[in-house]
Amino acid sequence: MKRAASVMVAVAFLVFGFFAVSSIAHADEIKVVGVITKIEVAKDGKSATVTLKDNETGNPVAVNVTDDLTLDKFNDHRILEGDGIRCKYEVINGKNESKFFKKTAGC
Amino acid sequence: MKRFIRNAAAASLLLGMALPVSAMAADQDLDQKVDSLAKEVEGIKRDAAQAKRKSLGQWLEIGGDYRFRMDGLWGQTAAFTDVTKTFANTEQTLQSNFFNSAPVPPGFPSWQNQIGGLMNFSNNMKQVSSFSGAQTFLANNQQMLQGIGNFAVQVPAYKPENETLNTNRFGINLHAKPIQDVTVNARLVGYKTFGSQDDSAFSNNGNTAFFGDRVGVFDGSIGHVPTSSLLDIDRAYATWSNVLGQPLWFSLGRRPSNNGIPSNLRLNNERPGNAGTPAMMIDYAFDGGTIGWAPDIDALPGAYAKICYGRGFESGFSSPTNSLKDTEFLGIAVIPVDTDPLRVWLQWNKGWNVFDFPVMKNTAFGDTAPAVELGSIEQWGAGSMSTLKNVGPGSLNFFAETGLSITHPNDNVSANAGFQGLLTGTFFNPEAPSDKTGWSVNLGTRYDYTPTATKFGFEFNHGSKNWITFAPAADDLWTSKLGTRGNVYEGYIIQELKLQPISSYTSKVFFRLGYQYYDFEYTNSNNWVGAPVKIADIKPTDMMLLTPVKTAQDLYATFEVHF
Repeated sequence: MKRAASVMVAVAFLVFGFFAVSSIAHADEIKVVGVITKIEVAKDGKSATVTLKDNETGNPVAVNVTDDLTLDKFNDHRILEGDGIRCKYEVINGKNESKFFKKTAGC
Repeated sequence: MKRFIRNAAAASLLLGMALPVSAMAADQDLDQKVDSLAKEVEGIKRDAAQAKRKSLGQWLEIGGDYRFRMDGLWGQTAAFTDVTKTFANTEQTLQSNFFNSAPVPPGFPSWQNQIGGLMNFSNNMKQVSSFSGAQTFLANNQQMLQGIGNFAVQVPAYKPENETLNTNRFGINLHAKPIQDVTVNARLVGYKTFGSQDDSAFSNNGNTAFFGDRVGVFDGSIGHVPTSSLLDIDRAYATWSNVLGQPLWFSLGRRPSNNGIPSNLRLNNERPGNAGTPAMMIDYAFDGGTIGWAPDIDALPGAYAKICYGRGFESGFSSPTNSLKDTEFLGIAVIPVDTDPLRVWLQWNKGWNVFDFPVMKNTAFGDTAPAVELGSIEQWGAGSMSTLKNVGPGSLNFFAETGLSITHPNDNVSANAGFQGLLTGTFFNPEAPSDKTGWSVNLGTRYDYTPTATKFGFEFNHGSKNWITFAPAADDLWTSKLGTRGNVYEGYIIQELKLQPISSYTSKVFFRLGYQYYDFEYTNSNNWVGAPVKIADIKPTDMMLLTPVKTAQDLYATFEVHF
């Protein structure tokens, strides 16, 4: 059992280490963790403007979301106003373009 | 004239000077009113914001579900010798002969001595807890064993059936956000059989039960098998997310460790998200905790990993008569991808100090409780699930998963189970402890036809001889289908009512019609006590604690409301 436990701990460290190495931050990406206060899906359904209330500053941050999987979740109401979000965005042509948008994890 | 002009000019000048003053006074009055209005508006905004913050909808969500379910259950058993009935028959016959002063067969002790001998046999049997001790005990009690054999109760093969078993189930879900990044989730469930306030409908009415996970209700299955009108706590846990600003979470409580992926498809539930466990490995109401990490990795969308702990049995204070240890579980889950088109999961679990019997009341065995730890059980699993939208006029879901179980028995055997160990031995026929490996595969698909909100699903799973899982909370009345040692086929149709949701975006009402066919190849599905016996090899003289089932069918229909 001790050997098995050691193997398991080693595997866990390998896995978590893999995740750590795989996570590469882009220098110009801005991270925001906050709560959705507003979701406005464009009429053509190809983008959505989401306003987040930044947990740290309390300021609203409007982010443009264009990835299909997230837009799907807006349409299916699996992401709603009031949900906690972790988001990374880049400022492109004066607009905050979302690069990473997902609900706060937890169970 | 000059004076008039001078006076008129002076008057005009005076008037001209007075006008700005009066205009200024009017402006000032207007400014004051505007300021006052602005302050009033700000105040109203503040009050509205405060009211919004305090309103229940900002921090509390209440939902739930009601389900009516009708099951038609048909089975086919194999002929066997019923252990419980045999011991009862032995005791009753000896007592009856004693009280009726029946003649004692030549060479036999008196009825009184035989009754005393049986009691001593039973009491001494309970003192045995090791494999070698069991061998010695059996060697020293051959005469008694032969005597008991004379009272053996053989049960011929028969077809148990219950054409209409109706149940009500009602659940309330609460989701509260007391402070930023902390949530509390709870689920209370009441699940009962029509016209009953106990579990007899699925545990065979006080007769010998069919499967170990349906002998009665216990901590791991409460709320998931029909019992009474009482509301049980199925889930109650608090979670702190974004710990120290990182994508870390920490959660404690009665876990969401049941009805996980892919059972959400046939149950028509929402996908569990980060919560939950793979149903083929863990479908068990655990108390425990989780530490999770969901790193932001662009190449692995939705990736997360978690370490989960659970306690399956609390042994209480140690004492000279209680040396049992707590039954503990540990699991490591790695989900490298979690998106609609693809979800991949990898999991390892282990349970230590696994008990022989859980705590149960009023079963066919009487009240049961752990008497001995039999060793540990390890599981490895992997699977994937996919939801593809716009496949024709609907969506296609499909999944494939596999699991491996390895038992690590210690030297202990269960006296209450006739000296059977962790997947070792049969009744009064102990086997030297050795690791046993089993495997399972689970496949399924569901097509959601959007125009009519109709869903068609089919699932198949196979478990090998020594496959064992922790799934007593599965939504199956015969036994957890994913723990079956054999094959199970299930088909179902779900018809949702295409009406506008009101209470929440995920509200729905639907009918479900389904059919399950179990083809058991070995005995003791979902039971880690005793070695599985091939169904085809069972003889009527084989002593068994549970009724061996060859095949079972469940035709079911539900009416469900999720709000």
